[in-house]
Order: sequence, then structure tokens, then C-alpha cells
Amino acid sequence: MPLKQSEAIVLRSYPMREADLLVTFFTRAEGKIRGIARSAKKSKKRFGGALEPLTFVRVYWEEREGKDFDLTRIDSCDVLESPLTDTVDYHRAVALGYVAEMLDQLLPDREANDAIFRLSHAVLQHMRAGAIWMAVTYFDLWIVRLTGLLPELHACIECGAPLDGNKAYYHALADGLMCAEHKRLASSEMTMESRLIAAEMFRSPVEAFAGTQWPRQRGVDLRKFLTQRIERQLEKKLVTATMLEKLD
Amino acid sequence: MTKFAEPMARLIDELKKLPGIGSKSAQRLAFHILRSSDEDADLLAGAIHEVKASLHLCSICNNITDVDPCVYCSNESRNQRLICVVEEPTNINSVEKTRSYNGVYHVLHGAISPLHGVGPEHLRISALTKRVENGDVDELILATNPTVEGEATAHYLTKLLKRTGVKVTRIATGIPAGSDIEYADEVTMSKAIEGRREL
Ligand SMILES: [Zn+2]
Ligand SMILES: [Zn+2]
Repeated sequence: MPLKQSEAIVLRSYPMREADLLVTFFTRAEGKIRGIARSAKKSKKRFGGALEPLTFVRVYWEEREGKDFDLTRIDSCDVLESPLTDTVDYHRAVALGYVAEMLDQLLPDREANDAIFRLSHAVLQHMRAGAIWMAVTYFDLWIVRLTGLLPELHACIECGAPLDGNKAYYHALADGLMCAEHKRLASSEMTMESRLIAAEMFRSPVEAFAGTQWPRQRGVDLRKFLTQRIERQLEKKLVTATMLEKLD
Repeated sequence: MTKFAEPMARLIDELKKLPGIGSKSAQRLAFHILRSSDEDADLLAGAIHEVKASLHLCSICNNITDVDPCVYCSNESRNQRLICVVEEPTNINSVEKTRSYNGVYHVLHGAISPLHGVGPEHLRISALTKRVENGDVDELILATNPTVEGEATAHYLTKLLKRTGVKVTRIATGIPAGSDIEYADEVTMSKAIEGRREL
């Protein structure tokens, strides 16, 4: 069978048998695929650092027939951009892991999604050591929107009252924002500032926010709200979301 | 599904827990053990038992050892003030093979790995911090892997320990000896240029 190729983002790799790696790629052409990279564990020469999570690569693979048809054979991988080119501190490692886990969990197999691919690629360039929160916030917002999980942010989900200029609240078990009257017990407030950040981020590319000071606290409520949406959809907690929350 | 006698099923279940061993391999190994002599089976069982009973972690460096402190930590001809920090006990062998390192070690037993939920709090760092804070160390060589996980770990340790004033160095990454520059990928090449030295 002829080799297929695509730009791709490496999501995860698991050791398989003695020397092989089972690798999940988010390819631009065909969405999420899984493949076996033979001898990748033993001989680093063959794939080098190309199979590190969040490496942007050009991957060449071969489809297989028979019962393992959904498991491709990875032929080779050229590094286009590596996360190792820039400093990797603990914060950045967690943020990168978060993007990988989100994509791995949210993307269906074999379904191309160019918008999510472009989002992921753009956001990864802005996750820098010591400065991850802008990119994480941007990724959270857009991934929720592009997977169709974003609720209306301008009106109360219970009564439809406009929230702009008024207090708004969120709750892990509610599907959107609520007004002061309809908020549930133990709801948290979503600040006006964070709602403005969301509106701004939906209007501009991620580059527009590069270089802005972005302390962890900025948009923390918005990120929490968005993560809750995703975790509710997945019906499970994301390992890296918990780690992200614990960062100082 | 084939039904095995209870002791056989139990052995297969235990073997399946080993890394890289699936159901088929576990059955094959179990039948091999069954067919082997009583003596060989006893030797295998004894070796497994012995390894757990007699090996533990060195109280100074966390290396796996049968004596405490381990052979490196108790060797007075080695520089006890120079510590090479590695992820796994097996990494010590790689450094020892060079025969050019005369310091001692610290084993972290892992690296920061967000996708596996492993943060700094899960690594064995406290004994290292104590050695540094006691003023027992001149230099730390961070020899974690040049991967995202290894780099994040090295970065974390640097931030944690540099404020004590100890000298912290990172092993170089670059072109493998005896290879051809033409075949080096961009990351390796840029790291090699970054880590160049004056001659
Ligand atoms: Zn309302
Ligand atoms: Zn020791």
C-alpha cells in the first residue's frame, strides 16, 4: 500500500512489546490516528525526538488491513517544530500535557478538523516557560467552542436575562451562566473582566495577545468554567487539568 | 477461553502483570515453568524472593542496593561532593560505563510527567535537597533525559536548588559521536550549536 502523509501533532506514545511505541497523532489530513512505530524505543536513531508529545511533525504512515486495520504502521516522522527547542519548565510541561490530553480525549478517531488543528498549532507556539496562562485560556475557550460545547455567555440559562453589565455565576452541574437570582447553591462568580476576555479572544488570533502580561489569576474563573464543561462532556476528570489547577 | 487449574491460572495472572507480557506470553512462560525441574523452579522462586528481601534503596542516594549506604556512597575514593542526578537506577550504569566519572549519584526514580499525573511531589527529591542544604555538595550534574519530561525535571531542580548557591550543571545534548552532521535533526543540531565550547 502507498504511504500516506500529513502534518501532525504527536499526542501520546505508549511502550509496546519490547521496543515498539504505540503513538497517537492528530493529523491535519485525517484527524486522530494511532500507529505503531517499530523499534522506536530501542533505536532512537530511527525516530529521534520526533515522537515526543506535542512535536509538530510530518508523519508518513501505511494503512493496514485485517483485524488491526485501525492501527497504522508509522514509517517515518520529520520534525517540523519541537517543544524542546524552547526552555521546558514545570509549568510549560504541564500546559503541553494539558493540550495533548484534551485533544486525545476530545477528538474522535479519523475525523479531520482543520480549525482545531490550526488552533492547537498556533497555541503551542505561545506556551512559553514562565508564561503559559494566556495560551491556556485561549486554547480552553476555542476548543470548547470548536467542539460545540460553548454555551451562551451573555444571558442567564434559566431566565434568559442579559448578563452583560450584571453579575454572572457558574456551577459544575449547570450548562451555562446564571443570573444572581437563578444561581445554584455553591455557584462561583464569573467576573465581568473574564467575560470581556472571552469576547476579545473570540475576536482575535492568539498572536494578538502575545507579550501581554498574564498572571495566573487572570481569567482563572473562565478557565475553571470551561474545564468543567469539558469534564462534564467527557464524564471524567482530566489528569493534567488537576495538575494545572495546582500550579502556583 | 481455556480453563486452567487454579495454581496455573494464578501463575499466569501474576506473569501477566510483568511489563511487555500479554496473555499468550504468560501462558508460554507458565508452561515452561511447569515443565522445568523442581530445582529450576525453586531457583526462580528463590531469586524473586531474594531480590525483594535483600534489595532496598540506599538511604543517601536512592540507588538500589544490598548494602546501605550503597557502593558509590560508601566509596571514599569517589568525590562525595559531586552528585550526578539521574532518573532511574539503570542510568547509573550508563554513566559508569564512561569510566571518567568519579563522583556519586542521586536517583529520582522517575521524571515529572504531567500526562501520567506525576508531579515533583512524586519524585524522590527530599534526600537530595537535604544533602545540598547541609553544604555537602559542590556541584550537581543534572543527567535527566533530554525529553520534555527530563527537561522539566531538570528545570524544576535547578529552580529549587540553585538558590542554595550550589553549582548546577546540565549534561550536554548534541550530535552523537561518530555520526554525521548531515543526518542530525534540527533540534539536536541547534542544541549542539547552543552547547558549543571554545577550543
Ligand atoms: Zn436568571
Ligand atoms: Zn548511595
